[in-house]
Amino acid sequence: MGFSNARGGTEAILAAERLVRSSGEEAGSDRIGLAQLIERMGLAVDRVMGEGGLWSPELAARALRRAEGDVMEAAQLLRAHRSSIPRLAYSEVASTDELRVIRRISSAFRNPPGRQLLGRTTDYVGRLLDLMPEDADAAEDAPHDHAHEHGHGHGHGHGHVHDEPVTTGDQDLRHPPRLIGLLREMDMVVERRPGADAEDPEPFDITRVPARPGAPRSAVLAALARAETGALVNLWYAYTFSTVKHGHEIPGEVRHGWLPVKVAHPVTGRPVTVTEIRVTEVETIDDLDRPEEDRSRLDLGYGLCFGHNERKAIAMAGLDLLVHRDGGRTELEQRVLITLDGIEACGFLEHLKLPHYVDFRSLLDRKRAVRGSSADGGAR
Amino acid sequence: MTAKLTTEHRAELLSAATRDELVALAERLLAQGALGEPAVLVPPEVGMVMLQVREPIAEERFYLGEVLVTRCGAEVAGVAGWSMRGDDDRIAALAAALLDAVCAAGLPESAEVEELCAAVERRRRREIDEEWARIAPTLVTFEELP
Repeated sequence: MGFSNARGGTEAILAAERLVRSSGEEAGSDRIGLAQLIERMGLAVDRVMGEGGLWSPELAARALRRAEGDVMEAAQLLRAHRSSIPRLAYSEVASTDELRVIRRISSAFRNPPGRQLLGRTTDYVGRLLDLMPEDADAAEDAPHDHAHEHGHGHGHGHGHVHDEPVTTGDQDLRHPPRLIGLLREMDMVVERRPGADAEDPEPFDITRVPARPGAPRSAVLAALARAETGALVNLWYAYTFSTVKHGHEIPGEVRHGWLPVKVAHPVTGRPVTVTEIRVTEVETIDDLDRPEEDRSRLDLGYGLCFGHNERKAIAMAGLDLLVHRDGGRTELEQRVLITLDGIEACGFLEHLKLPHYVDFRSLLDRKRAVRGSSADGGAR
Repeated sequence: MTAKLTTEHRAELLSAATRDELVALAERLLAQGALGEPAVLVPPEVGMVMLQVREPIAEERFYLGEVLVTRCGAEVAGVAGWSMRGDDDRIAALAAALLDAVCAAGLPESAEVEELCAAVERRRRREIDEEWARIAPTLVTFEELP
């Protein structure tokens, strides 16, 4: 099984690569700058970082440019580069309560504690293909020549000062309280927090050890966080409309914002914020309606991913809860752990384009052998 | 900035400073001879920090992914300084480590480093305020149809 070795073709291979590398220059268009990609194609850059598993807007933009806009190929380039870089440290344990929101909505409560902040979105307006003449379109763009003027929230963090709270009454609108707190006060959610004496196991590191069914939830969450967005949405969608699922979950929290990355200072051992990254975070709520479940309460799933990718975070939260409720009864956990990584899936698919001459010859030989045995009267 | 910065707060502000700010000050202090004969203890190195997060539902930790950083260690007047900053910038990391060591050693030039930190903090606070000014108009209270 696999592709067979082949030799030769070097000149053709190099000529083919030259066609790719020179196509931009031959087209006569300007080279795309990294800042343009980060500021104007920020959602694609965010996807590359999320699926590549490495936060670096500049490297992701380089990968996207190299891959000619192919997000999957760019994520592969980033993941491959990542494997050549040493891991210097593990961060202090981040609490997303520290997330400084630039968008926060709830589909569950009209007026959640801390209010809803739409942020930068076209969710509530019509979205049409822009057919303006290019000159007019460029003129419309001209007054805003920097992403920060738009409040895009892409690119580098705004830094590590200790935020002054922006408050309404006693609520900090940049760090709004979580809906789960309110639901707990209402005694509406099942309690899944460990007791005070419980162990706090080290997270499973899927970058070092392949995760297989039976792995802890930390492996599931890590696999979901760097899953390919389309695969994640597809799997969530398929299970949401399966015969065992009744209804759909409701996202209680959808947040996009800046999260400080802290490491222990090498001298004092106390935490230091060394940079900030943007993340999308979702807590999604679902009904418990199975006989073995506490049908008087709700449960929640959790989604968190690099950059701004609400589709991914909502699907991740849904699948986190589906895997938890499934309890290993079906192949869902296996599919989450093994089939959602876009780089692995595409890597396998792409390898099909490599020479399989021997495989194919043996396939033909088998068919001929079957016919031969049929002709001899040996076939059933 | 009136109160003396803590070691951690200084490191945070130096990591938030721009490359130009750090390099300009470090080069000026070097040219003045204020740093004596500094040493590089940990050469500037690009690497990753694995970000671990505690999710709020079952309060379990998991690894979200890695973050590209550059770190450096330097020594001035026999005292160590340290820096780590986001993304790939060895020169900025070296400059930040040197300036951190200046403060750790208590050299007179600490005042200039702390002034830089104060400027960074003012700018960052302004940027966060500006960010809020842009998004605050999107605060919403939806009405429910009867």
